[in-house]
Amino acid sequence: MTTERAIIETRGLTKVFGSNGMAVHALRGIDLTVRRGEFVALVGPSGSGKSTLMAIIGCLDSPTAGTYAIDGVSVEGLSGAALARIRNEKVGFVFQSYNLLPKASIARNVELPLLYAGLGRKERRRRALELLEQVGIPEKAHVLPAQLSGGQRQRVAIARALANTPALLLADEPTGALDSKTGEDVLGLFKELHRKGNSVVLVTHDAHIASFAERRVELRDGLVVTPEAQAA
Amino acid sequence: MVSGAFRERLAEAWIEIRENLGRSSLQAIGVILGVASVLGGFSISDSQRKRSDERWMKLGGMDRLVVQQATAVKDGTPTALQMANLGLRSEDREEGGNLNAKAVEGATQEKGARARVRSAFADQDRSVRGIDGDYLPLNGYSLEDGRTFSAEEYSEGRAVALLGAEARATFFPTGEAVGQTIRVGDIPVVVVGTLSEKVFRWRDGEPNRFAWRNRIILVPSALVARRMNGDRWNRVDRVSFRIRDLSVMQTFSEGLDSLLRGNHRLQEDYRIDDIAARVKKRRSQGDVYNLIFMLSGILSLVGGGMVNINIQMATLKDRVREVGVKMAIGASGREIFKGFMTEALLVTGLGSAVGLLGGVAFSKVITSFLKIPLFMQPLSFVWAFILASAFGFVFALYPAWKASRLSPMEALRYE
Repeated sequence: MTTERAIIETRGLTKVFGSNGMAVHALRGIDLTVRRGEFVALVGPSGSGKSTLMAIIGCLDSPTAGTYAIDGVSVEGLSGAALARIRNEKVGFVFQSYNLLPKASIARNVELPLLYAGLGRKERRRRALELLEQVGIPEKAHVLPAQLSGGQRQRVAIARALANTPALLLADEPTGALDSKTGEDVLGLFKELHRKGNSVVLVTHDAHIASFAERRVELRDGLVVTPEAQAA
Repeated sequence: MVSGAFRERLAEAWIEIRENLGRSSLQAIGVILGVASVLGGFSISDSQRKRSDERWMKLGGMDRLVVQQATAVKDGTPTALQMANLGLRSEDREEGGNLNAKAVEGATQEKGARARVRSAFADQDRSVRGIDGDYLPLNGYSLEDGRTFSAEEYSEGRAVALLGAEARATFFPTGEAVGQTIRVGDIPVVVVGTLSEKVFRWRDGEPNRFAWRNRIILVPSALVARRMNGDRWNRVDRVSFRIRDLSVMQTFSEGLDSLLRGNHRLQEDYRIDDIAARVKKRRSQGDVYNLIFMLSGILSLVGGGMVNINIQMATLKDRVREVGVKMAIGASGREIFKGFMTEALLVTGLGSAVGLLGGVAFSKVITSFLKIPLFMQPLSFVWAFILASAFGFVFALYPAWKASRLSPMEALRYE
């Protein structure tokens, strides 16, 4: 289609939990391609396998069968340390429940991925402040997460996700814990990031939220039901 | 580069410790108690031992072998052999000294007598000790005034005397004693010197344990033998040898025993008192205390370590999500492991430092309670620190390993 490398490319992705008698087939053969710079919403009811797919796309989990390449790198047979490196460099996670370290300051939360990437202390601090500026809360660098509102916390989480300028932003129900007004603001931020050239995959069960994306991919019972060609 | 990375990790661990102060101080308590008890135990037993060594040094050192008269007749009628035995003689001293002339650095014999001692100021019944050779250094006396006996005075048994501090004060309370004459029995004896006062107290405020040692009146043993209490076998009360090289003490003592046994017709009418052996025995008792203290220290470290593991495992549950988040944003299991270990070792290090201070305070309190001076060896500090670090390391391994093995997905979903 294009000469550009796909950010996500899966072929026949299968994930089975449990063993023989009690096996649960969460994914039954997913073929999915996300191009660089795309904003894709992964939708489906609970139990459709979208969280499992997200975990595999984010290199938090490995597939039972099938192949997956992120930004051109096949994850098959990679060690835990290599997967950690990919998560650090290529993926930025945004979770529904923010997952900030409660006892660490905002700046430190944003700095952590930079720490694992091996940046020096001063460079980390500089970059963290820059990122907080980018998500619109530069003045909150030295407070604890508990002192922030939900929307502000999610902005911190986004700043953290952007720390190592990842190839892919992966958001799992990022507005699930927010009221609709704040949710819209956060989604607006995603849209803006997309406009600036970031690739975004947003996991949600909410059709309205999915409408912010360029393209919808619907999952049901571990299979993609929307043909990929049917772009928005 | 490596040290830079390590410094970075230490700084991170320090931040983690500060962020979780409650957990960290609980972890540190076990280490603090263990280190304090190891150091305190060692120091208290060291102080006690040093005190005891000081006493032996004041008694004239422990490099002495003393042979005394003993009774061979235990009960019943004495046998003819026992009756015929002569007891300790000056021969024994001479032959003993020749056993190993190189090792024996000094020897003396003592022969006592009781006599009426008179001066212009006092008239008392006193025990008079006849001495020769190296009596003064062997028994830790030093001259205060005048001179000691000359070789001729010893061999000729001249009527000269040395007075202990108390004897001097009793017989010459007002003035100069040296040059004056006292009468010992019927014999006029010239005082040629006086001895410094000997003082020893276990604790301040106690009476002087060495008061009796200041009462002595010394004369040449030949004088006692010839004019007071002698016999033709040259019997003596006590023979002492000085052997500085403590390693030959044992063999010398055995050789002396077989020599004396032969001289005394296989009758054990003498007793060899090996002070070094006695001190060594006391020492080994000290070692037992050291071992007990060390064991109790180790037990508190083990206990502390268990508590530490428990705390870590309990808080691991709180930390699972944290570990999950860290893994999601790029920490490898190895990094999580190193982080946990660095944190635990830092807690151990800081805990040890506090524990060492605690140990010093603990020893100070106990020794001041026992009224003995505090004596601490640098080695005790090193030991306490090494033990704590080793235990800190070992007990940190399991929680750190456990945390590093978490799957990021499960850790993130953990509630």
